[in-house]
Amino acid sequence: MSSIGTGYDLTTTTFSPDGKIFQVDYAQKAIDNSGTAIGIRCKDGVVLGVEKLVISKMLVEGSNRRIFSCDLHAGIATSGLAADGRQIVNRARAEAANFKNFFGDAIPGEVLCDRIASYKHLFTLYGTRPYGVGTLLAVYDEEGPQLYQIEASGVGMRYFGTAVGKGRQGAKTEIERLKLSEMTCREGVLAVAKIIYQVHDDAKDKAFELELSWVCDESQRRHERVPADLHATAETAAKAALEDDDDD
Amino acid sequence: MSRGSGAGYDHHITVFSPEGRLFQVEYAFKAVKAAGFTSIGVRGKDSVCVVTQKKIPDKLIDPSSVTRLFKITKFIGILVTGMMADAKSLISKARQTAADFRHSNGYEIPVDYLAKVIADQAQVYTQHAYMRPLGVASILFAIDEELGPQLFKTDPAGYYVGYKATAAGAKEQEAVNFLEKKMKSDPSLSYDETVQAAIAALQSVLSEDFKATEIEVGVVRAGDDTMFKVLPVEEVEDHLTAISERD
Repeated sequence: MSSIGTGYDLTTTTFSPDGKIFQVDYAQKAIDNSGTAIGIRCKDGVVLGVEKLVISKMLVEGSNRRIFSCDLHAGIATSGLAADGRQIVNRARAEAANFKNFFGDAIPGEVLCDRIASYKHLFTLYGTRPYGVGTLLAVYDEEGPQLYQIEASGVGMRYFGTAVGKGRQGAKTEIERLKLSEMTCREGVLAVAKIIYQVHDDAKDKAFELELSWVCDESQRRHERVPADLHATAETAAKAALEDDDDD
Repeated sequence: MSRGSGAGYDHHITVFSPEGRLFQVEYAFKAVKAAGFTSIGVRGKDSVCVVTQKKIPDKLIDPSSVTRLFKITKFIGILVTGMMADAKSLISKARQTAADFRHSNGYEIPVDYLAKVIADQAQVYTQHAYMRPLGVASILFAIDEELGPQLFKTDPAGYYVGYKATAAGAKEQEAVNFLEKKMKSDPSLSYDETVQAAIAALQSVLSEDFKATEIEVGVVRAGDDTMFKVLPVEEVEDHLTAISERD
């Protein structure tokens, strides 16, 4: 059986003879080819980091963000097709606002994950193409901090730590080494920055901007960009660690 | 969108092939197998037990968020096998159906009727060319007020029927062979025998001895409390021990 589509990959509404939906697999490939995004759940919150590949020196720093807030207590890092990513974030924001309006309370992480997942899943059923987006969802609700990953297929799961994009294999290996249940978010920010710098492929992609965000006790359980000083410290430490490795 | 008529499209959309086959539906069945899990259900004289593997592919996944055993209502449980995103969609619809029924009619939806509704929806997907079938086989179970323990399976073709014992997924055929031998004499299984039969069947077809944390077990029992329950690890442990002592 061919693993390239050859005719079974034209629409989302077609199963291949092996029972795969190639359009969904291809959407996943779009995500796998984009810049790395990482999320880790520490003992007091969740940290998100994105390797934002910069295609032109003329781009203003801090524009074209890939980390968004969907509510005070929830944030999303997108990887894959940026325009698709914005649609997912819009939907997540609408779901969160709707929930608040209807139930009078902040949307729980599990519920928001399910809503995003079932929304993405819709697009794997009918005539449109699937969303080429991998979503990392960080939430801090009454159950504590949670990290979810929702794939292009609409499958959402809760993680201790995860990575999507080009450098995900290397990043996941590094994340597995961390003792996440003992780490604070401050330490987590440094770890995430270090890992992103590590998996960034200098040969293939040159410049990149590091986006970092967190939702933790220190940020009063609000999803925010990491404070500028901590961000700077993390980047310096990450660059230094890379040079140390080069020296070895 | 590809046209319905013309050579070759019978493999691509849900139209008949010249031999009268629906290839897309057959491929949907393959998707259920391709997921790599096996699920088993056994009906006893006053209980029903379903069991399946719990395989977490990635150490970084939080295992408490991964399950294929869900509650449709307090009394009806469902075990899904196949594509998880499709399964969640099916479960969501089933929950809505059950809740609407309870609201409109004032009593709990019977599990055979729910299975019919799910199956009818699946059939619609096999007839409309612009939709694809869901790659899910669902095993539904409950204690019916009038009929006692009930076990149903629905599949991507829109077929559903009640079973004494059934299986779905990667090792479906091997499991069915094992269960046929077990149920041949039409035994009247007690609760413990039902649970142990289901677990033993899974162990046999997968040729491995499980730890209690590697399987999920769901039950319903006749009596005062007919609610769907997921067995806690200690109880699963007890059943596993009973099975190994028997052998």
